[in-house]
Formats: sequence, C-alpha cells, structure tokens
Amino acid sequence: MLEMTINDKACRGCRLCVDICPTECFSFDQQTAKAQVAVAENCIACLSCAFLCPSGAISHRNHHEVKNFYRNIEFSQRMGRFL
Amino acid sequence: MVEDLLKQRRTLQETMNFMAALSAGMEPVLGRGANSMTMSAGRNLGRKFSAEARHTEDLLEAVDEVRKILLANSCLWGFEPFKPQGQAELITVNDRGQRQMLLVFRDCMIRQSLLRFGHPQKGSLCNMMYGFFAGALETIMGKKATLEIRHAGENACLKVLTVEA
Repeated sequence: MLEMTINDKACRGCRLCVDICPTECFSFDQQTAKAQVAVAENCIACLSCAFLCPSGAISHRNHHEVKNFYRNIEFSQRMGRFL
Repeated sequence: MVEDLLKQRRTLQETMNFMAALSAGMEPVLGRGANSMTMSAGRNLGRKFSAEARHTEDLLEAVDEVRKILLANSCLWGFEPFKPQGQAELITVNDRGQRQMLLVFRDCMIRQSLLRFGHPQKGSLCNMMYGFFAGALETIMGKKATLEIRHAGENACLKVLTVEA
C-alpha cells in the first residue's frame, strides 16, 4: 500500500502541496503552520506534490513509478532544430 | 527475445518523441485549432478500433471494453477507475444527469514523451487521448462522452469521464 510522508522539520508551510493535490490528500495545521497528510488513501501517486515542494519534504513509498524515456543524444541532436 | 523487446521499445520511444515534437511545433501555428484537430483524429481512431467491440449500456463494462481494445491494438495506456474516500460509488451522476467516473492514467507514452523534451501537458497530444475515449465510448455505448483532464501530474494523471444521460 502506498505511503506518503511529510518531513515536519523540512516543511515551510507554503501550502503548495495543499493547492496542487487533485484528490485533497493534505490538510493544513493552523497551529503548527505546516501541511499534514490527511487522507493518504486518496493519493494517486501523481507525485506533483513531491516535485513541487520547495524543500523536498514529501516522500512516497510503495507506488508505481513510470519509466522515463531514455535519452538518445544522437536523436536529440537530430530533433533539436524542431524543439 | 530481449533484443526484440528493446528494439520495439526504442521504436515506440522515437515515434512518440517525434509525435511530441510534431504537436509542439503544430500548436503555435494552429493555436487552439491544434486541439480540435488531434481530438478529431483520436475520435476517428477510437471509432475505428471499437468497430467490432461489444455494445453495452453499463459504463464499467464499456470502460473495460476500451481497455480490451487498447490491449488488442498493443497500446500501452494503463488506466484504472478511482474512487476517493467519502465517495460511495465509482460512478456518480452530476446535476445535469450525466454519469461521471474518475480515471487514473499511469503508464502513458504521451506524458513520457512530453516530459522527455519539456513540452507542457494538457496540449494537443493529450486531447488525442480524449478523442480516442470519446470515439470508442460513442461506438460502445451509443452516447456522447468526454474525458476532461482534472490533473496532469508527473507520474499519473487524473481524468473525469463524463457520459451523456
């Protein structure tokens, strides 16, 4: 099962994760002024929060990670003029 | 065997990279028309691929039928229905009486090719997928359908499938 954690010490309370999450997995604790994982079950592992977090405080475990396309230098050079 | 698979993978990746470059080049020239063009192309493809598919009124069965069509045509577009906590059923009905369902797309060759060159998501290539679903579901269910992108993420996308009442 997917696990999502926020490193309390790293969180700056910018709320970017709260705003970006499409399934409302996060809540904001007004007292500590930090984000919290509210409903981890709703996480679809889009990883937008982890990519967006300025302090890299959010981490996911046991999720499906999509394989990236390989980098073909020769192909990139050929295509460069179109990109 | 492994070499064959790697060759197929390389071919797919280079084709998709080329498609991404094509769509990125087309968008500034055609503007919003690019989305209509690719959506229409996707719809035609969806109709063609689903010509022999089983007809059904059941949305879950129809979505499963689309999955089978994609598999039968060697399209690597894994998706799964999504039910957020607090929502009672997979299928909901909106205030206009349309049936809706959330779908999560994970392994998407379009997303991977766009990110590979830093092209933005939700563009003309993503609209092709919308067209494909719309065309396939029109044939299978005999009703108009839309596939709106609710969130385009780096590792998965959340889309809302809406079928006319």
